[in-house]
Amino acid sequence: MELFANLAHGFVVAFSPINLLMCLIGALVGTLVGVLPGIGTIATVAMLLPITFGLPPVGALIMLAGIYYGAQYGGSTTSILVNIPGEATSVVTALDGHQMAKQGRAGPALAIAAIGSFFAGCVATVLIAVLGAPLTKLALAFGPAEYFSLMVLGLIFAVVLAKGSVLKAIAMIVFGLLLSMVGSDIETGASRMAFNIPELADGLGFATVAMGVFGFAEIIRNLDHGAEMDRNLVQQKITGLMPTRKDLVDSTPAILRGTVLGSILGILPGGGAVIASFAAYTLEKKLAKDPKRFGRGAIEGVAAPESANNAAAQTSFIPLLTLGIPPNAVMALMVGAMTIHGIVPGPQVMQKQPDLVWGMIASMWIGNLMLIIINLPLVGIWVRLLRVPYRLMFPSIVVFCAIGIYSVNNAPVDVVLAGVFGLVGYWLIKHDFEPAPLLLGLVLGPLMEENLRRALLISRGDWSVFLSRPLSAVLLAIAAGLLVLAVLPTLRAKRDEVFVESEG
Amino acid sequence: MSDTPSEAPVKSILPKWVRGPQDFVGGLAMMAVALFALWASSDLQGMHGFSFGAGTAPRMFAVLLLLLGGAVALVGILKDGPHIAAYSWRGPLFVSAAIVFFAVAIRPLGLVVSAFAAFLIAALGSHETRWLEAIIVGACLTLGCALLFPYVLGLPMPMFPRFLIQ
Amino acid sequence: MMSIRSLAGACLSAFAALGAFAVPASAQTYPTRTVTMIVPFAAGGPTDVISRIVTAHMAQTLGQSIVIENVVGAGGTTATTRAARAANDGYTLITGHMGTHAASVPLYPKLAYHPEKDFEPVALLAGTPILILARKDFPPKDLKEFVAYVKANAEKVNAAHAGIGSVSHASCELLNSILDVKPVGVPFNGTGPAMNALVAGQVDYMCDQIVNAVPQIKAGTIKAYAVATPERNPSLPEVPTTTEAGLPAFQAQAWNAVFAPKGTSPAIIAMLNAAAIKALDDDNVRKRLLELGSVIPAPASRTPEALATLVKNEIAKWTPVLKPAS
Repeated sequence: MELFANLAHGFVVAFSPINLLMCLIGALVGTLVGVLPGIGTIATVAMLLPITFGLPPVGALIMLAGIYYGAQYGGSTTSILVNIPGEATSVVTALDGHQMAKQGRAGPALAIAAIGSFFAGCVATVLIAVLGAPLTKLALAFGPAEYFSLMVLGLIFAVVLAKGSVLKAIAMIVFGLLLSMVGSDIETGASRMAFNIPELADGLGFATVAMGVFGFAEIIRNLDHGAEMDRNLVQQKITGLMPTRKDLVDSTPAILRGTVLGSILGILPGGGAVIASFAAYTLEKKLAKDPKRFGRGAIEGVAAPESANNAAAQTSFIPLLTLGIPPNAVMALMVGAMTIHGIVPGPQVMQKQPDLVWGMIASMWIGNLMLIIINLPLVGIWVRLLRVPYRLMFPSIVVFCAIGIYSVNNAPVDVVLAGVFGLVGYWLIKHDFEPAPLLLGLVLGPLMEENLRRALLISRGDWSVFLSRPLSAVLLAIAAGLLVLAVLPTLRAKRDEVFVESEG
Repeated sequence: MSDTPSEAPVKSILPKWVRGPQDFVGGLAMMAVALFALWASSDLQGMHGFSFGAGTAPRMFAVLLLLLGGAVALVGILKDGPHIAAYSWRGPLFVSAAIVFFAVAIRPLGLVVSAFAAFLIAALGSHETRWLEAIIVGACLTLGCALLFPYVLGLPMPMFPRFLIQ
Repeated sequence: MMSIRSLAGACLSAFAALGAFAVPASAQTYPTRTVTMIVPFAAGGPTDVISRIVTAHMAQTLGQSIVIENVVGAGGTTATTRAARAANDGYTLITGHMGTHAASVPLYPKLAYHPEKDFEPVALLAGTPILILARKDFPPKDLKEFVAYVKANAEKVNAAHAGIGSVSHASCELLNSILDVKPVGVPFNGTGPAMNALVAGQVDYMCDQIVNAVPQIKAGTIKAYAVATPERNPSLPEVPTTTEAGLPAFQAQAWNAVFAPKGTSPAIIAMLNAAAIKALDDDNVRKRLLELGSVIPAPASRTPEALATLVKNEIAKWTPVLKPAS
């Protein structure tokens, strides 16, 4: 069979000593980038791009790809340990992951994140090899109308994952959407709500807001009086490092479902991976017998989104490998790396550059293997880090976050903005508003607006396109169904309340 | 959240008919944000023909937030809810000060000075801080950062104060 | 084997080095430390790749490394503003571009710099030709039919572009103004998503730089009507020029050139110009630029003066086209 011949060829390429080394470097750097708050994959890949000029193109791309998916492994670490999501895709991981850490179960949370990622990575790699070409059709079938409907669906996920008031969760999404409007308008280039601050011309960065409302706000809150007891408790409670048999049994279906969702959504450029992690979490919460456990340290709440985001990180290579079109900024950098070597990827890249394509696919599997070998022993070190007294830990986190945010654009203003969002986040916590929906609104807002406008431009203002295009209609129907499911329990609870009151 | 005020609850300046001050104030603040956004986006073009203008979406979301904020505030009036939790000043003040200092200092003073100083300023935020220990850890951390970010990750950052280099 | 060109380049740089002796200490020793080249677009894009190929060679000539710093945002104007405000000691340079140093003038009324007043032109590096592209099942078969079709169906056709201020946006506006049509412009975030929409057939046509389009054209996923340069491009020999295909008025190239902040010493400018020319005469640099479909400037247009003229002409060319859009 041709596939096996191709794969065998890929493994021959990937197992050459230089490529193995590149893969290892990529995995290590990726883990580091994922772990360090603020340091994003885009910035790192951009910085490392010049180094790759001196390397053979296959090795260079293997390394860059390793950084990309390696960061997905590392990204969960800070989410779990200190409640700081390093990437948009690990926001949901923080919800239950950090709760687990607070209960002394950081070890199992980190381990299950790595195991889930590994499994998802392996499956998704096979998927790229077997179904890459047909799946490309999905990426092409998604036009602006479909993307808009997908974004609506994504926002509904954020409502479902709220553990408190649904109303407040929706308010937070809209707040996030509003924040995402800051910057230049895509169609006219007009500056919106940027107050002539040049650093705001391209909008608020995800890292800036996430470090603020999660990282800094969490630190400030922990410094409150009365919070000390909680913290000391955490340090005494640390138990096993590895998941128990029960943890594994609980997580297995979550990992499987997360992998499937992530693999499918990952193919869609622009927001696919983020939505995948939220979708996986929402699905688990909806399927769980006791949804109340979610947000309070449910291991499925870590396993599912982590599997989903890693599966998505792998399958997001499909448009690049089959069409030659980079679906996101990191892949655009990889295309840049190829261009510099005189390879401009296109639809024929699979035929013209079999070494590159199959070598990369094979290296992804090897890379995932390396990552789990790197990450499982690291769990012990990370957990030991939690034993560092908080009085020394929090200034260190402040410094790391500040450097991380500065490094994104080399802009001091970003650091100040993150500080402001820290205070905003502190206020939000005090008023029981959840920051996760806000971040999702912030990430999906521009995508939603742009695609809505594109769809309406193409349809000449005819809103019915969202319903007349079947894929879009299906997505909207799912969104409507989920919203009803999310709101119904609250309504029912209200009715019960009224009932109780009238009884008493 | 678990941080119900352990000390004396903040005296409510809100009228009696507000049954859930936390939601009430939260909702009002969201409304304020929405009104601010409406004002800030008032100079932007609205719908023209069938296509959105630059201001359409921001105003749409702002109006939506205004309504939602109003609804949250209404819940605060109608339903019994928690009081506003106590704020402390020390943590927010010094953590913010550390962040602002870092932002101001990184360009002229470089990574080494600003990271170390930011560490110590942030440490002021907790009354548990022991100074000798903080200085040692801060110095080690600064050294680690100075090696990690510019060298291992290759991020372009000034290391030392500008006046020392020239 | 030394070609006449590289010999001339070597002479020129030797001459520039001699000239450098005559001027103050700053230029004698320049460069004593790393030079930063700001690239106003993301790494891996055409401007970035051209900058990297050329500066790698320039660094050898200058004996100091040149670090590329990609500063993205606001159509490249964020980076250009920063470069305009940078110290004029020759250690901060920018690879300016058709967008940042010409089209930005009419597009951004509140632009914080002026391409002519705030910069010293150094050297033109390379241009990337613009192609007129369409989805593969777009009815017109050649450029003449395309012109007729777009004029007849101006209400129905959609033109994609990669965002306000991008090359594809500016050049599409130029094409539309020549054809005197106003199709609906569908904005995308970058050339990748725009190309994706064109390949998927969601939009009808677009103008884009040759680098991005060649593999798609060769694979038949999109079609090209013409290349907007005076000569056919070696990477797409079968695609006619706009002149051959009957639309000679449409001439557009995304040119990239090095600029220094205003007031940088002429001796430093001369050194940098000589280094850039030497790079453009290097066989390996030329080969790699040509692989990208770039057009390497003729010797006459490589001087700082020629670049100044180019900037002036380009501003004059784009202002009437882009003014009504903003």
